[in-house]
Amino acid sequence: MIDSPPPRRVALVGAGIVSPLGLGLEETLVSLKTGRDCVGPVTTFSVEKTRCQTAAQVPDARLGVASTRQARRLHRVSHMMIAALEELLQQAPGFSPQIAIVGTTSGGMTFGEQFYRSLPGDSLRRAPGWIANYPPQKQIADALAHFHLDIPALVIANACASGSNAIGQAFNGIRFGQYQQVLAGGYDAISELVFVGFDSLQAATAEKCRPFDAGRTGMVLGEGAALLALEEWESATRRHVEILGEVVGYGISTDNHHLTQPNPDGNGARRAMEDALASANLNPPDIGYINAHGTATFFNDAAEGKAICEMFKQVPVSSTKSMMGHSLGAAGAIEAIVTLLALRHQFLPPNLHFRSSDPDLSLRIVANESQPASLDYGLSNSFGFGGTNASIVLRRAA
Amino acid sequence: MSLGIAALSWVTPLGSDIEEIWSRLLAGETAPLESLADPETKKEYLVRRVSPLALKQLPPQTRLRRASAISRFAAAAGLTALRNFAGPLDRTALIFAVSNGGVIYTRRFYSEIVKAGSQGASPLLFPETVFNAPASHLAAILGLQGASYTVVGDGAAGILALKLAEDLLAGPGVDSVLVVAAEEIDPLVCEAYRRWRLLRNPTQPENGRGIILSEGAGAVLLTREKRELQLSAIDAGTTFFRRTEAAGKLRKLRERLETSPSIIVGSANGTFIDRAERSALGAIPYSPKPALGDSVGASVLWQLIAATQILKTARVPDYPDTTVGSSALVLSCGLNQHMGGLRVKLA
Repeated sequence: MIDSPPPRRVALVGAGIVSPLGLGLEETLVSLKTGRDCVGPVTTFSVEKTRCQTAAQVPDARLGVASTRQARRLHRVSHMMIAALEELLQQAPGFSPQIAIVGTTSGGMTFGEQFYRSLPGDSLRRAPGWIANYPPQKQIADALAHFHLDIPALVIANACASGSNAIGQAFNGIRFGQYQQVLAGGYDAISELVFVGFDSLQAATAEKCRPFDAGRTGMVLGEGAALLALEEWESATRRHVEILGEVVGYGISTDNHHLTQPNPDGNGARRAMEDALASANLNPPDIGYINAHGTATFFNDAAEGKAICEMFKQVPVSSTKSMMGHSLGAAGAIEAIVTLLALRHQFLPPNLHFRSSDPDLSLRIVANESQPASLDYGLSNSFGFGGTNASIVLRRAA
Repeated sequence: MSLGIAALSWVTPLGSDIEEIWSRLLAGETAPLESLADPETKKEYLVRRVSPLALKQLPPQTRLRRASAISRFAAAAGLTALRNFAGPLDRTALIFAVSNGGVIYTRRFYSEIVKAGSQGASPLLFPETVFNAPASHLAAILGLQGASYTVVGDGAAGILALKLAEDLLAGPGVDSVLVVAAEEIDPLVCEAYRRWRLLRNPTQPENGRGIILSEGAGAVLLTREKRELQLSAIDAGTTFFRRTEAAGKLRKLRERLETSPSIIVGSANGTFIDRAERSALGAIPYSPKPALGDSVGASVLWQLIAATQILKTARVPDYPDTTVGSSALVLSCGLNQHMGGLRVKLA
């Protein structure tokens, strides 16, 4: 144990988001309030032979992917990151992070796929571009380069918990005095390899994504990028910047049950949520809303739902993956912003396509429509392959 | 924040005993060069591979039954580093660093999709393609249930993993951090580096230009307590946006880290990094990569182990006349826009 100085408070002073819900906070808010279903047919590769044929995608046309020759060299998820960072920097003037901590699962995977498919041709012409721009660390580097941010980038690849882990670790880094300002978030784009992978596991559904529903049949994939500007509270107040909210808690646990399935007893999820509440000095009744991991797979929702039921009494729960799919490494960051918007605008984002409650889960699902609410604290869960679990707690700005 | 180095281990193409390998490196030995052929294209690549004997002592593990080589390397290094560890595992975090990741299964999985369509995709392979699969296996084998992070990056990923360890130890949640880094070789990665024009020409192995890829793992157990060997500074470094920027940024990195004259263990691997190090540091410093190959994501931990051995033996392979003091710098410049460094001290 160490004698550490009192933990510092951590303010959120900026946010930027690109997801199927829209580009930017305003569009995202409208989509959340109106319960827009962003899932549609997959357009970027053939899904003729997969069970699942839908996903939630960000239109390339809105990203300026093909606008210039230089833009075409970057991966589309780099464009998402640049757009998210631009929005964040506009909101947070003077924000000068010491480090970027971001999460992703597959970075520019589609460039890797293009490289693999080009192998028989032995072409050296386009390959260097694909190879150099494929690695998962390249897309944050592209965004930093675009805005001349000369800082290190720590890329966490903890599967679907990556984005929450990145925000949580950024929070702890400021909380325990390592940093004053940190850029944190996550990104991922749809790729054939990952899409077919989830399909092969029969984790993806051919139907609608219905988290926590008794008749849930699986997930749909999504994509996007989201970034948050975290700053030590005193520093933010000294600079008189607008404080959007506060990160107050973070919990991480590892569930050694199975590489792809959570422990059915919900122990891993529960420990992450308990640690997040403990680090925030909160009790379960303090939480007004849970943005669940809620993939709509049988196993995730059963384990997560069990943990929530055991810890909380009828707290409103929704999985916004029902609207925008599961964006993997970006999900934790996107859903942190969804939770932040819920706190700022005092509403509960909806859990779409919900028909009937799972008899094994006594959950208060925010079914199908957003609802007004009075919220002080929100909790966001992200759980991933490898048994990695992360929960973060946000507080609304006073 | 200064961190104590409680244990070190590695799995390399020269073996896995630190003292023995160090003696061989001091004697000028290099790991054997092997030819790795792509079964489909028949192309051949020069690589340095880990002997199966190096994993002989790895106890049978259910979790590793279907796992790829990278997970076995990670498990071997991690178990060795924790062999004499008496601290509580519930206050020990795991950080795994990687660059190319589980590329053998990733290639197999995607090749089935390309050849046979999505119906040929194996649900057994897909989970092993995920970057954090080795960390998951290792956590399960070691019984770690707390914080576990997989850090992905280029050849400097290990520096960022060590920085993350420092950040974790700055808080009250953990008392020790096991940092493991590993990499495996597949012809697909070799071909990628070849088309990136960074791979050693297989017909000219003696030519110093270009990378020779290798595989293996490294592990370090870090604590807050003072130890004989201390990580006295870790600089997460910076991104660089053009190769021409590398030398200038390396120079600044050295200036930030070097408080007294220190021996430098660099990351020269036959690419533009050699030029950057020569320009920034006045000469190409000692790098274990020419002898052991470039294990990319695992390379920083190999550099760290080399630095600790230099301090303990006061001898530097390839540079027999060098005077060794009580501190060494490890500088790492990756191929994909990151560099960072650290300072290690012998008490």
